[in-house]
Amino acid sequence: MMGRTIVIDPGRCIGCQACVSACRECDSHRGKSMIHLDYLDQGGSVASSPTVCMHCEDPVAPCAQVCPAEAILVTPDGVVHDADKSRCIGCGNCVNACPMGVPKIDLAAKLQFKCNLCYDRTSYGLAPMCATVCPTGSIFYGTLEELRTERPGVEVASTFDFDGSIISTGVAMVVPRGRPVDEPLPGGAGEHARVTGSPQPAGHLEPSADNVLGDPL
Amino acid sequence: MRPVLVGVVTALVLCAAIYLGSRELHNFDSALAPYAIASVFLAFGIAYRYTAWISSPGARRLFKKGWGAALSWRNLRRAPTALPRMIATYLGFQKFLGARSRARWAAHQLIFWGCLLAAAITFPLTWGWFTFTANTGAGPQYTMNIWGLPVVEFNALSLLGWVLFHGLDIAAVLVIAGATYFLIRRMRDREASTGQRFGYDLVPLLALIIISVTGLLLTFSSVALHGGGYEFLAVLHMAAVVLTLLYLPFGKFFHIAQRPAAVGMQLFKYTEHGEIRHCRNCGEPIDTTAYVDNLRATMRDLKLDFDGLAEVCPRCKRLRRGQAYRSTVKPGF
Repeated sequence: MMGRTIVIDPGRCIGCQACVSACRECDSHRGKSMIHLDYLDQGGSVASSPTVCMHCEDPVAPCAQVCPAEAILVTPDGVVHDADKSRCIGCGNCVNACPMGVPKIDLAAKLQFKCNLCYDRTSYGLAPMCATVCPTGSIFYGTLEELRTERPGVEVASTFDFDGSIISTGVAMVVPRGRPVDEPLPGGAGEHARVTGSPQPAGHLEPSADNVLGDPL
Repeated sequence: MRPVLVGVVTALVLCAAIYLGSRELHNFDSALAPYAIASVFLAFGIAYRYTAWISSPGARRLFKKGWGAALSWRNLRRAPTALPRMIATYLGFQKFLGARSRARWAAHQLIFWGCLLAAAITFPLTWGWFTFTANTGAGPQYTMNIWGLPVVEFNALSLLGWVLFHGLDIAAVLVIAGATYFLIRRMRDREASTGQRFGYDLVPLLALIIISVTGLLLTFSSVALHGGGYEFLAVLHMAAVVLTLLYLPFGKFFHIAQRPAAVGMQLFKYTEHGEIRHCRNCGEPIDTTAYVDNLRATMRDLKLDFDGLAEVCPRCKRLRRGQAYRSTVKPGF
Protein backbone atom coordinates (compact mmCIF):
# COMPACT_ATOMS: atom_id res chain seq x y z
CA MET A 1 0.00 0.00 0.00
CA MET A 2 1.31 3.42 -0.97
CA GLY A 3 1.84 6.10 1.69
CA ARG A 4 -0.74 8.55 0.43
CA THR A 5 -3.34 6.64 -1.47
CA ILE A 6 -7.01 6.01 -2.16
CA VAL A 7 -8.97 3.94 0.33
CA ILE A 8 -12.33 2.62 -0.88
CA ASP A 9 -15.24 1.73 1.34
CA PRO A 10 -18.01 0.27 -0.84
CA GLY A 11 -20.24 0.20 2.25
CA ARG A 12 -20.43 3.98 2.13
CA CYS A 13 -21.12 4.25 -1.61
CA ILE A 14 -24.59 5.52 -2.47
CA GLY A 15 -24.15 5.19 -6.24
CA CYS A 16 -24.59 8.91 -6.88
CA GLN A 17 -22.09 8.95 -9.80
CA ALA A 18 -20.44 12.16 -8.51
CA CYS A 19 -17.04 10.42 -8.84
CA VAL A 20 -17.83 9.42 -12.43
CA SER A 21 -18.78 12.99 -13.33
CA ALA A 22 -15.76 14.49 -11.58
CA CYS A 23 -13.39 12.02 -13.25
CA ARG A 24 -14.78 13.08 -16.61
CA GLU A 25 -13.66 16.65 -15.83
CA CYS A 26 -10.03 15.63 -15.36
CA ASP A 27 -7.66 17.47 -17.69
CA SER A 28 -5.72 14.38 -18.64
CA HIS A 29 -8.70 12.56 -20.19
CA ARG A 30 -11.35 15.17 -20.79
CA GLY A 31 -14.89 13.91 -21.30
CA LYS A 32 -14.09 10.29 -20.48
CA SER A 33 -14.53 8.83 -17.04
CA MET A 34 -11.89 6.40 -15.86
CA ILE A 35 -13.72 5.37 -12.71
CA HIS A 36 -16.17 2.49 -12.77
CA LEU A 37 -19.29 2.47 -10.66
CA ASP A 38 -21.08 -0.85 -10.57
CA TYR A 39 -24.48 -1.55 -9.09
CA LEU A 40 -24.01 -4.90 -7.41
CA ASP A 41 -27.61 -5.89 -6.96
CA GLN A 42 -29.67 -3.95 -9.46
CA GLY A 43 -33.33 -3.99 -8.69
CA GLY A 44 -32.66 -5.61 -5.30
CA SER A 45 -30.77 -3.01 -3.29
CA VAL A 46 -28.85 0.24 -3.69
CA ALA A 47 -25.49 -1.49 -3.15
CA SER A 48 -22.86 -0.07 -5.45
CA SER A 49 -19.11 -0.18 -5.68
CA PRO A 50 -16.62 2.28 -7.18
CA THR A 51 -13.49 0.89 -8.86
CA VAL A 52 -10.38 2.94 -9.52
CA CYS A 53 -7.05 1.53 -10.68
CA MET A 54 -5.72 -0.44 -7.72
CA HIS A 55 -2.08 0.26 -8.72
CA CYS A 56 -0.93 -3.35 -8.27
CA GLU A 57 2.38 -3.67 -6.41
CA ASP A 58 3.03 -7.42 -6.30
CA PRO A 59 2.98 -8.74 -8.95
CA VAL A 60 3.70 -5.25 -10.15
CA ALA A 61 1.17 -3.89 -12.66
CA PRO A 62 0.08 -6.97 -14.68
CA CYS A 63 -1.24 -4.51 -17.29
CA ALA A 64 2.27 -3.11 -17.80
CA GLN A 65 3.81 -6.59 -17.85
CA VAL A 66 1.58 -7.89 -20.64
CA CYS A 67 1.85 -4.69 -22.70
CA PRO A 68 3.71 -5.58 -25.92
CA ALA A 69 4.59 -1.93 -26.61
CA GLU A 70 6.15 -0.95 -23.25
CA ALA A 71 3.50 1.73 -23.08
CA ILE A 72 2.54 1.62 -19.40
CA LEU A 73 4.96 3.35 -17.07
CA VAL A 74 5.15 2.63 -13.34
CA THR A 75 6.74 5.59 -11.54
CA PRO A 76 8.90 5.06 -8.43
CA ASP A 77 6.01 6.33 -6.26
CA GLY A 78 4.05 3.20 -7.25
CA VAL A 79 1.60 4.90 -9.60
CA VAL A 80 0.71 2.79 -12.65
CA HIS A 81 0.18 5.31 -15.43
CA ASP A 82 -2.19 5.29 -18.36
CA ALA A 83 -0.69 4.30 -21.70
CA ASP A 84 1.95 6.46 -23.34
CA LYS A 85 0.14 7.90 -26.35
CA SER A 86 3.09 7.53 -28.68
CA ARG A 87 3.53 3.85 -27.88
CA CYS A 88 0.09 2.33 -27.22
CA ILE A 89 -0.99 0.19 -30.19
CA GLY A 90 -4.48 -0.45 -28.85
CA CYS A 91 -4.14 -4.24 -28.60
CA GLY A 92 -6.23 -4.48 -25.43
CA ASN A 93 -3.88 -6.85 -23.57
CA CYS A 94 -4.03 -4.63 -20.49
CA VAL A 95 -7.84 -4.46 -20.58
CA ASN A 96 -8.24 -8.21 -20.37
CA ALA A 97 -5.21 -9.05 -18.22
CA CYS A 98 -6.22 -6.66 -15.43
CA PRO A 99 -7.80 -8.82 -12.71
CA MET A 100 -9.73 -5.80 -11.44
CA GLY A 101 -11.41 -4.87 -14.74
CA VAL A 102 -10.01 -1.35 -14.84
CA PRO A 103 -8.42 -0.25 -18.16
CA LYS A 104 -10.57 0.97 -21.02
CA ILE A 105 -9.72 1.04 -24.67
CA ASP A 106 -10.71 3.31 -27.54
CA LEU A 107 -10.44 1.07 -30.59
CA ALA A 108 -10.66 3.88 -33.15
CA ALA A 109 -7.95 5.92 -31.43
CA LYS A 110 -5.90 2.76 -30.72
CA LEU A 111 -5.42 4.01 -27.20
CA GLN A 112 -5.87 2.68 -23.70
CA PHE A 113 -7.22 4.86 -20.91
CA LYS A 114 -7.10 4.20 -17.23
CA CYS A 115 -7.09 5.87 -13.85
CA ASN A 116 -3.65 7.32 -13.12
CA LEU A 117 -4.53 8.43 -9.60
CA CYS A 118 -5.13 11.91 -11.08
CA TYR A 119 -1.38 12.35 -11.44
CA ASP A 120 -1.83 15.96 -12.49
CA ARG A 121 -3.29 16.58 -9.03
CA THR A 122 -1.71 14.01 -6.70
CA SER A 123 1.82 14.83 -7.85
CA TYR A 124 1.14 18.36 -6.53
CA GLY A 125 -0.32 17.13 -3.24
CA LEU A 126 -4.00 17.51 -4.21
CA ALA A 127 -6.56 14.73 -3.80
CA PRO A 128 -7.86 12.96 -6.94
CA MET A 129 -11.09 14.27 -8.45
CA CYS A 130 -13.19 11.29 -7.31
CA ALA A 131 -12.08 11.52 -3.68
CA THR A 132 -12.57 15.29 -3.70
CA VAL A 133 -16.24 15.08 -4.66
CA CYS A 134 -17.36 11.84 -2.99
CA PRO A 135 -20.09 13.02 -0.60
CA THR A 136 -19.96 10.00 1.72
CA GLY A 137 -16.24 9.33 2.04
CA SER A 138 -16.55 6.07 0.12
CA ILE A 139 -13.46 7.18 -1.79
CA PHE A 140 -10.91 8.61 0.65
CA TYR A 141 -7.48 9.96 -0.26
CA GLY A 142 -4.70 10.31 2.29
CA THR A 143 -2.49 8.31 4.60
CA LEU A 144 -3.75 5.57 6.91
CA GLU A 145 -3.09 7.90 9.86
CA GLU A 146 -5.24 10.63 8.30
CA LEU A 147 -8.01 8.08 7.67
CA ARG A 148 -7.84 6.92 11.28
CA THR A 149 -8.05 10.51 12.52
CA GLU A 150 -11.37 10.78 10.71
CA ARG A 151 -12.54 7.23 11.42
CA PRO A 152 -10.93 5.95 14.63
CA GLY A 153 -10.03 2.27 14.62
CA VAL A 154 -10.76 1.72 10.94
CA GLU A 155 -8.95 -1.21 9.32
CA VAL A 156 -7.90 -1.52 5.69
CA ALA A 157 -6.67 -4.37 3.49
CA SER A 158 -4.70 -4.20 0.28
CA THR A 159 -4.28 -7.82 -0.81
CA PHE A 160 -6.67 -9.79 -3.01
CA ASP A 161 -7.04 -13.50 -3.55
CA PHE A 162 -7.87 -14.57 -7.09
CA ASP A 163 -8.29 -18.32 -6.75
CA GLY A 164 -4.97 -18.67 -4.95
CA SER A 165 -3.14 -15.89 -6.79
CA ILE A 166 -2.43 -13.18 -4.26
CA ILE A 167 -2.15 -9.60 -5.53
CA SER A 168 -1.15 -6.74 -3.28
CA THR A 169 -2.15 -3.28 -4.36
CA GLY A 170 -1.28 0.35 -3.79
CA VAL A 171 -4.93 1.25 -3.27
CA ALA A 172 -6.66 -0.19 -0.19
CA MET A 173 -10.18 -1.12 0.87
CA VAL A 174 -11.87 -0.69 4.22
CA VAL A 175 -12.57 -3.91 6.09
CA PRO A 176 -14.67 -4.42 9.23
CA ARG A 177 -12.93 -4.02 12.54
CA GLY A 178 -11.76 -7.35 13.92
CA ARG A 179 -11.15 -8.94 10.54
CA PRO A 180 -7.49 -10.04 10.26
CA VAL A 181 -5.87 -7.29 8.14
CA ASP A 182 -3.46 -9.71 6.49
CA GLU A 183 -6.32 -11.88 5.26
CA PRO A 184 -6.69 -11.19 1.52
CA LEU A 185 -9.92 -9.78 0.20
CA PRO A 186 -11.83 -12.11 -2.10
CA GLY A 187 -11.19 -11.47 -5.79
CA GLY A 188 -14.33 -13.42 -6.58
CA ALA A 189 -12.49 -15.44 -9.21
CA GLY A 190 -14.06 -18.76 -8.34
CA GLU A 191 -17.57 -17.41 -8.30
CA HIS A 192 -20.08 -16.47 -10.89
CA ALA A 193 -21.23 -12.90 -10.62
CA ARG A 194 -24.93 -12.39 -10.69
CA VAL A 195 -25.43 -10.72 -14.00
CA THR A 196 -27.10 -7.40 -13.39
CA GLY A 197 -28.69 -6.73 -16.70
CA SER A 198 -31.72 -4.82 -15.51
CA PRO A 199 -31.98 -1.09 -16.23
CA GLN A 200 -29.59 1.25 -14.50
CA PRO A 201 -31.18 2.71 -11.39
CA ALA A 202 -29.99 6.16 -12.39
CA GLY A 203 -32.28 6.29 -15.41
CA HIS A 204 -30.64 6.42 -18.80
CA LEU A 205 -27.11 7.24 -17.72
CA GLU A 206 -24.54 5.50 -19.87
CA PRO A 207 -23.05 2.71 -17.75
CA SER A 208 -19.59 3.62 -16.58
CA ALA A 209 -18.68 -0.04 -16.91
CA ASP A 210 -18.16 0.23 -20.64
CA ASN A 211 -14.50 -0.74 -21.14
CA VAL A 212 -14.55 -0.76 -24.91
CA LEU A 213 -15.10 2.60 -26.54
CA GLY A 214 -15.77 2.77 -30.25
CA ASP A 215 -16.76 -0.12 -32.45
CA PRO A 216 -16.55 -3.29 -30.32
CA LEU A 217 -14.23 -5.88 -31.87
CA MET B 1 24.21 -10.70 -25.66
CA ARG B 2 21.77 -11.42 -28.48
CA PRO B 3 20.74 -7.75 -28.94
CA VAL B 4 24.44 -6.77 -29.20
CA LEU B 5 25.03 -9.46 -31.80
CA VAL B 6 22.00 -8.46 -33.87
CA GLY B 7 23.06 -4.81 -33.57
CA VAL B 8 26.61 -5.51 -34.76
CA VAL B 9 25.41 -7.63 -37.68
CA THR B 10 22.94 -4.90 -38.75
CA ALA B 11 25.64 -2.23 -38.54
CA LEU B 12 28.02 -4.40 -40.61
CA VAL B 13 25.33 -5.00 -43.23
CA LEU B 14 24.81 -1.24 -43.50
CA CYS B 15 28.58 -0.68 -43.82
CA ALA B 16 28.67 -3.22 -46.66
CA ALA B 17 25.65 -1.56 -48.32
CA ILE B 18 27.36 1.85 -48.07
CA TYR B 19 30.56 0.43 -49.54
CA LEU B 20 28.83 -1.28 -52.45
CA GLY B 21 26.16 1.43 -53.03
CA SER B 22 28.80 4.16 -53.24
CA ARG B 23 30.68 2.09 -55.84
CA GLU B 24 33.44 1.10 -53.43
CA LEU B 25 33.43 4.57 -51.84
CA HIS B 26 34.03 6.18 -55.25
CA ASN B 27 30.89 8.31 -54.79
CA PHE B 28 31.23 8.66 -51.02
CA ASP B 29 31.30 12.31 -49.95
CA SER B 30 33.83 12.52 -47.11
CA ALA B 31 32.36 15.87 -45.99
CA LEU B 32 29.25 13.92 -44.99
CA ALA B 33 31.18 11.13 -43.23
CA PRO B 34 29.99 12.08 -39.68
CA TYR B 35 26.38 11.61 -40.84
CA ALA B 36 27.16 8.23 -42.39
CA ILE B 37 29.02 7.08 -39.26
CA ALA B 38 26.10 8.24 -37.08
CA SER B 39 23.71 6.26 -39.29
CA VAL B 40 25.80 3.12 -38.71
CA PHE B 41 25.50 3.68 -34.95
CA LEU B 42 21.79 4.32 -35.49
CA ALA B 43 21.43 0.96 -37.26
CA PHE B 44 23.21 -0.72 -34.34
CA GLY B 45 21.03 1.11 -31.80
CA ILE B 46 17.73 0.35 -33.51
CA ALA B 47 18.57 -3.33 -33.99
CA TYR B 48 19.88 -3.63 -30.41
CA ARG B 49 16.84 -1.93 -28.90
CA TYR B 50 14.38 -3.76 -31.14
CA THR B 51 15.82 -7.16 -30.26
CA ALA B 52 15.78 -6.29 -26.55
CA TRP B 53 12.18 -5.10 -26.90
CA ILE B 54 10.86 -8.23 -28.61
CA SER B 55 12.51 -10.46 -26.03
CA SER B 56 9.78 -9.57 -23.49
CA PRO B 57 6.95 -12.15 -23.49
CA GLY B 58 4.17 -9.84 -24.65
CA ALA B 59 6.15 -8.33 -27.53
CA ARG B 60 7.76 -11.64 -28.54
CA ARG B 61 4.43 -13.39 -28.94
CA LEU B 62 2.90 -10.46 -30.81
CA PHE B 63 5.98 -10.24 -33.07
CA LYS B 64 5.62 -13.91 -34.06
CA LYS B 65 1.85 -13.77 -34.47
CA GLY B 66 1.95 -10.45 -36.32
CA TRP B 67 4.55 -11.57 -38.85
CA GLY B 68 2.79 -14.93 -39.12
CA ALA B 69 -0.44 -13.15 -40.06
CA ALA B 70 1.31 -10.71 -42.41
CA LEU B 71 3.09 -13.50 -44.30
CA SER B 72 0.19 -15.94 -44.21
CA TRP B 73 -0.80 -17.18 -47.66
CA ARG B 74 -4.29 -17.91 -46.33
CA ASN B 75 -4.70 -14.31 -45.18
CA LEU B 76 -3.38 -12.99 -48.47
CA ARG B 77 -5.97 -15.00 -50.39
CA ARG B 78 -8.81 -14.11 -48.03
CA ALA B 79 -8.06 -10.41 -47.66
CA PRO B 80 -5.45 -9.42 -50.26
CA THR B 81 -5.86 -5.69 -49.66
CA ALA B 82 -5.78 -5.82 -45.84
CA LEU B 83 -2.02 -5.37 -45.42
CA PRO B 84 -1.43 -2.56 -47.96
CA ARG B 85 -4.60 -0.81 -46.80
CA MET B 86 -3.52 -0.91 -43.16
CA ILE B 87 -0.01 0.28 -44.01
CA ALA B 88 -1.46 3.24 -45.91
CA THR B 89 -4.21 4.26 -43.48
CA TYR B 90 -2.45 3.30 -40.30
CA LEU B 91 1.25 3.96 -40.80
CA GLY B 92 1.03 6.56 -43.59
CA PHE B 93 -2.06 8.66 -42.95
CA GLN B 94 -2.37 7.65 -39.27
CA LYS B 95 -6.16 7.67 -39.11
CA PHE B 96 -6.09 6.61 -35.46
CA LEU B 97 -4.50 9.96 -34.55
CA GLY B 98 -7.47 11.73 -36.12
CA ALA B 99 -9.70 9.83 -33.69
CA ARG B 100 -7.62 11.25 -30.84
CA SER B 101 -7.50 14.86 -32.05
CA ARG B 102 -7.64 16.43 -35.50
CA ALA B 103 -5.11 19.12 -34.63
CA ARG B 104 -2.64 16.55 -33.29
CA TRP B 105 -3.20 14.43 -36.38
CA ALA B 106 -2.41 17.39 -38.67
CA ALA B 107 0.70 18.36 -36.70
CA HIS B 108 1.92 14.77 -36.58
CA GLN B 109 1.38 14.38 -40.32
CA LEU B 110 3.54 17.46 -40.92
CA ILE B 111 6.35 16.00 -38.81
CA PHE B 112 5.93 12.52 -40.28
CA TRP B 113 6.06 13.52 -43.94
CA GLY B 114 8.77 16.10 -43.25
CA CYS B 115 10.99 13.53 -41.52
CA LEU B 116 10.27 10.91 -44.17
CA LEU B 117 11.23 13.34 -46.93
CA ALA B 118 14.37 14.40 -45.07
CA ALA B 119 15.38 10.80 -44.40
CA ALA B 120 14.75 9.79 -48.01
CA ILE B 121 17.10 12.53 -49.18
CA THR B 122 19.73 12.59 -46.44
CA PHE B 123 20.53 8.93 -45.87
CA PRO B 124 21.18 7.99 -49.53
CA LEU B 125 23.19 11.20 -49.97
CA THR B 126 25.42 10.57 -46.96
CA TRP B 127 25.89 6.93 -47.96
CA GLY B 128 27.04 7.97 -51.42
CA TRP B 129 24.04 6.28 -53.04
CA PHE B 130 22.73 9.47 -54.68
CA THR B 131 25.05 11.55 -56.81
CA PHE B 132 24.42 14.52 -59.07
CA THR B 133 26.62 14.95 -62.15
CA ALA B 134 26.71 17.66 -64.81
CA ASN B 135 28.16 17.54 -68.29
CA THR B 136 29.24 21.14 -68.03
CA GLY B 137 30.96 22.49 -64.94
CA ALA B 138 28.15 24.69 -63.61
CA GLY B 139 25.10 22.97 -65.06
CA PRO B 140 22.26 23.79 -65.31
CA GLN B 141 21.69 20.35 -66.83
CA TYR B 142 22.14 17.68 -64.13
CA THR B 143 21.83 13.92 -63.99
CA MET B 144 20.73 12.22 -60.80
CA ASN B 145 22.37 8.83 -60.28
CA ILE B 146 21.40 6.11 -57.85
CA TRP B 147 24.17 3.58 -57.09
CA GLY B 148 26.04 5.12 -59.97
CA LEU B 149 23.24 4.46 -62.47
CA PRO B 150 21.69 7.51 -64.18
CA VAL B 151 18.02 7.80 -63.21
CA VAL B 152 16.72 11.22 -64.14
CA GLU B 153 18.05 14.21 -66.05
CA PHE B 154 16.80 17.64 -65.09
CA ASN B 155 17.46 21.34 -65.41
CA ALA B 156 18.54 22.83 -62.10
CA LEU B 157 16.63 26.01 -62.90
CA SER B 158 13.37 24.16 -63.59
CA LEU B 159 10.67 23.48 -60.98
CA LEU B 160 11.82 19.85 -60.63
CA GLY B 161 15.37 21.07 -60.13
CA TRP B 162 14.27 23.54 -57.47
CA VAL B 163 12.25 20.89 -55.64
CA LEU B 164 15.12 18.38 -55.78
CA PHE B 165 17.65 20.86 -54.45
CA HIS B 166 15.30 22.33 -51.82
CA GLY B 167 13.71 19.09 -50.61
CA LEU B 168 15.36 19.44 -47.21
CA ASP B 169 14.15 23.04 -46.88
CA ILE B 170 10.58 21.91 -47.60
CA ALA B 171 10.99 19.10 -45.03
CA ALA B 172 12.32 21.62 -42.48
CA VAL B 173 9.29 23.90 -42.91
CA LEU B 174 6.91 20.95 -42.42
CA VAL B 175 8.76 19.72 -39.33
CA ILE B 176 9.06 23.17 -37.72
CA ALA B 177 5.31 23.76 -38.10
CA GLY B 178 4.38 20.37 -36.59
CA ALA B 179 6.98 20.33 -33.82
CA THR B 180 6.17 23.91 -32.76
CA TYR B 181 2.50 22.96 -32.37
CA PHE B 182 3.46 20.02 -30.12
CA LEU B 183 5.92 22.14 -28.15
CA ILE B 184 3.30 24.81 -27.44
CA ARG B 185 0.82 22.08 -26.52
CA ARG B 186 3.29 20.57 -24.06
CA MET B 187 3.71 23.96 -22.39
CA ARG B 188 0.03 24.91 -22.22
CA ASP B 189 -2.08 21.76 -22.22
CA ARG B 190 -2.47 19.91 -18.94
CA GLU B 191 -3.35 16.67 -20.70
CA ALA B 192 0.04 16.74 -22.40
CA SER B 193 2.04 18.14 -19.51
CA THR B 194 0.78 15.66 -16.89
CA GLY B 195 3.74 13.46 -16.07
CA GLN B 196 5.79 14.72 -18.99
CA ARG B 197 9.56 14.24 -18.78
CA PHE B 198 12.07 16.67 -20.24
CA GLY B 199 14.33 14.03 -21.77
CA TYR B 200 11.52 11.88 -23.12
CA ASP B 201 8.89 14.39 -24.22
CA LEU B 202 10.57 17.75 -24.84
CA VAL B 203 14.07 16.86 -26.09
CA PRO B 204 12.73 15.14 -29.26
CA LEU B 205 10.71 18.23 -30.21
CA LEU B 206 13.59 20.58 -29.46
CA ALA B 207 15.94 18.35 -31.48
CA LEU B 208 13.62 18.39 -34.50
CA ILE B 209 13.29 22.18 -34.34
CA ILE B 210 17.05 22.75 -33.90
CA ILE B 211 17.86 20.45 -36.83
CA SER B 212 15.28 22.14 -39.05
CA VAL B 213 16.19 25.72 -38.12
CA THR B 214 19.94 25.18 -38.55
CA GLY B 215 19.23 23.42 -41.85
CA LEU B 216 17.20 26.38 -43.10
CA LEU B 217 19.91 28.77 -41.90
CA LEU B 218 22.39 26.92 -44.13
CA THR B 219 20.24 27.75 -47.13
CA PHE B 220 19.80 31.31 -45.86
CA SER B 221 23.57 31.64 -45.50
CA SER B 222 24.27 30.49 -49.06
CA VAL B 223 21.41 32.48 -50.64
CA ALA B 224 21.50 35.72 -48.69
CA LEU B 225 24.86 35.91 -46.90
CA HIS B 226 27.13 34.61 -49.68
CA GLY B 227 28.09 31.73 -47.41
CA GLY B 228 28.70 33.84 -44.32
CA GLY B 229 28.77 31.69 -41.18
CA TYR B 230 28.20 28.58 -43.29
CA GLU B 231 30.95 26.50 -41.73
CA PHE B 232 29.82 27.22 -38.18
CA LEU B 233 26.19 26.48 -39.11
CA ALA B 234 27.21 23.28 -40.87
CA VAL B 235 28.99 22.03 -37.74
CA LEU B 236 26.02 23.04 -35.55
CA HIS B 237 23.57 21.29 -37.88
CA MET B 238 25.73 18.19 -38.07
CA ALA B 239 26.10 18.01 -34.28
CA ALA B 240 22.31 18.30 -33.85
CA VAL B 241 21.62 15.57 -36.42
CA VAL B 242 24.30 13.19 -35.12
CA LEU B 243 23.18 13.51 -31.49
CA THR B 244 19.54 13.01 -32.51
CA LEU B 245 20.37 9.89 -34.52
CA LEU B 246 22.26 8.45 -31.56
CA TYR B 247 19.34 9.28 -29.22
CA LEU B 248 16.69 7.90 -31.56
CA PRO B 249 16.66 4.24 -30.47
CA PHE B 250 16.54 5.04 -26.77
CA GLY B 251 13.89 7.73 -26.39
CA LYS B 252 10.51 8.71 -27.70
CA PHE B 253 11.55 8.35 -31.33
CA PHE B 254 11.69 4.59 -30.85
CA HIS B 255 7.92 4.59 -31.37
CA ILE B 256 8.78 4.85 -35.09
CA ALA B 257 10.20 1.33 -34.89
CA GLN B 258 7.46 0.06 -32.58
CA ARG B 259 4.40 1.42 -34.34
CA PRO B 260 4.32 -1.11 -37.21
CA ALA B 261 3.60 -3.75 -34.53
CA ALA B 262 0.07 -2.34 -34.52
CA VAL B 263 -0.44 -3.48 -38.11
CA GLY B 264 0.70 -6.99 -37.15
CA MET B 265 -1.62 -6.89 -34.16
CA GLN B 266 -4.60 -5.83 -36.28
CA LEU B 267 -3.91 -8.50 -38.89
CA PHE B 268 -3.44 -11.22 -36.30
CA LYS B 269 -6.48 -10.17 -34.31
CA TYR B 270 -9.05 -9.52 -36.95
CA THR B 271 -7.97 -11.13 -40.22
CA GLU B 272 -6.69 -14.54 -39.25
CA HIS B 273 -9.58 -16.10 -37.34
CA GLY B 274 -13.03 -14.65 -37.05
CA GLU B 275 -14.04 -16.66 -34.00
CA ILE B 276 -15.04 -14.56 -30.99
CA ARG B 277 -14.46 -15.49 -27.33
CA HIS B 278 -17.33 -14.55 -25.04
CA CYS B 279 -17.32 -13.74 -21.35
CA ARG B 280 -17.65 -16.94 -19.31
CA ASN B 281 -20.02 -15.16 -17.02
CA CYS B 282 -22.35 -12.93 -19.00
CA GLY B 283 -21.71 -14.03 -22.59
CA GLU B 284 -20.71 -10.58 -23.85
CA PRO B 285 -18.01 -10.69 -26.55
CA ILE B 286 -14.48 -10.10 -25.22
CA ASP B 287 -12.23 -10.37 -28.25
CA THR B 288 -11.16 -12.84 -30.91
CA THR B 289 -10.31 -16.35 -29.70
CA ALA B 290 -6.81 -16.18 -31.19
CA TYR B 291 -6.13 -12.95 -29.30
CA VAL B 292 -7.46 -14.20 -25.93
CA ASP B 293 -5.46 -17.44 -26.22
CA ASN B 294 -2.34 -15.42 -27.04
CA LEU B 295 -2.92 -13.15 -24.03
CA ARG B 296 -3.40 -16.13 -21.71
CA ALA B 297 -0.16 -17.67 -22.96
CA THR B 298 1.62 -14.34 -22.40
CA MET B 299 0.27 -14.19 -18.84
CA ARG B 300 1.48 -17.74 -18.16
CA ASP B 301 4.93 -16.80 -19.51
CA LEU B 302 4.97 -13.98 -16.98
CA LYS B 303 3.82 -16.28 -14.14
CA LEU B 304 0.58 -14.30 -13.84
CA ASP B 305 -1.38 -17.43 -13.02
CA PHE B 306 -4.79 -15.75 -12.97
CA ASP B 307 -4.85 -15.96 -16.77
CA GLY B 308 -8.25 -17.67 -16.67
CA LEU B 309 -9.69 -14.28 -15.74
CA ALA B 310 -8.89 -13.09 -19.26
CA GLU B 311 -12.01 -14.98 -20.30
CA VAL B 312 -14.21 -12.90 -18.00
CA CYS B 313 -15.22 -9.43 -19.18
CA PRO B 314 -13.97 -6.44 -17.17
CA ARG B 315 -17.44 -5.62 -15.88
CA CYS B 316 -18.04 -9.14 -14.56
CA LYS B 317 -14.62 -9.08 -12.88
CA ARG B 318 -15.67 -5.99 -10.97
CA LEU B 319 -19.12 -7.35 -10.18
CA ARG B 320 -17.66 -10.62 -8.89
CA ARG B 321 -15.22 -8.80 -6.65
CA GLY B 322 -17.87 -6.37 -5.43
CA GLN B 323 -20.40 -9.11 -4.76
CA ALA B 324 -17.80 -11.27 -2.98
CA TYR B 325 -16.89 -8.26 -0.80
CA ARG B 326 -20.56 -7.70 -0.06
CA SER B 327 -21.28 -11.32 0.81
CA THR B 328 -18.16 -12.23 2.79
CA VAL B 329 -16.30 -9.10 3.95
CA LYS B 330 -19.01 -6.60 4.81
CA PRO B 331 -22.19 -8.65 4.58
CA GLY B 332 -25.24 -6.88 3.30
CA PHE B 333 -23.95 -3.31 3.20
